[in-house]
Amino acid sequence: MNKKEVFKLAKGFRGRAKNCIRIARERVEKALQYSYRDRRNKKRDMRSLWIERINAGTRVHGVNYGNFMHGLVKENIQLNRKVLSELSMHEPYSFKALVDVSRTAFPGNKNMTPTPKKEGLAILV
Amino acid sequence: DVWNKTWYPKAEDHVNTEKTWYVVDASDKILGRLASTIAIHIRGKNLATYTPSVDMGAFVIVVNAEKVAVSGKKRTQKLYRRHSGRPGGMTVETFDQLQQRIPERIIEHAVRGMLPKGRLGRDLFTHLKVYTGADHPHQAQKPIDLPIRDKRIQKQT
Repeated sequence: MNKKEVFKLAKGFRGRAKNCIRIARERVEKALQYSYRDRRNKKRDMRSLWIERINAGTRVHGVNYGNFMHGLVKENIQLNRKVLSELSMHEPYSFKALVDVSRTAFPGNKNMTPTPKKEGLAILV
Repeated sequence: DVWNKTWYPKAEDHVNTEKTWYVVDASDKILGRLASTIAIHIRGKNLATYTPSVDMGAFVIVVNAEKVAVSGKKRTQKLYRRHSGRPGGMTVETFDQLQQRIPERIIEHAVRGMLPKGRLGRDLFTHLKVYTGADHPHQAQKPIDLPIRDKRIQKQT
């Protein structure tokens, strides 16, 4: 019975959407569409959360996320962001060692000499 | 399989009684820069255990709120508006007038605009405690100084 399946999926819905078939059918269709979309969004959201956690963890040591990842790439350390965020939360000493490795590989852009500004027709080149 | 599941805080990881309390003196600090650091600490974005759906932040006490500074001509030109909901019910005051009337509201307004809007945001806002004058009634929580990393937050005299 399709109705039985619909009501099984409509558990926990608000108001008539869990009891009345016409409304429940619409809401269940929408819920299934959302879950399809969100299975793909979850991967994006998780990666964004790991990046925020890594950023917070490295800023404690004076390095921001961008410079940290650039240093790791230079040293060919292929730890992914999931593992890095777990390290930053639960293994602080190992994480500090990683931040130091990244900092020796890429100390940041503070000492760059500014590129000379182009004047006149040289701007077009 | 602890390495393959992203950590999510349990109830005992964010008990209010074990959170840090910070205190910051607002005299001669630029309003927006101060509000930004306060909001970051209240929301918990400076912690590696940051979670957007859970309140992992700290409590912040602001003292000397009436002495907060703004640059340029904002003291007489920055407007604070509120609307009562009825037609013609908009009230506009300048920074100066609001500072005479209710100085705490200036910092509260600034920080509230920088916290998320929603149920969690409203809860976070209750973790901000603003006081005029140099005293605060939270000595029992032993607040520590708020670490400020912004170099331009102090008003240049």
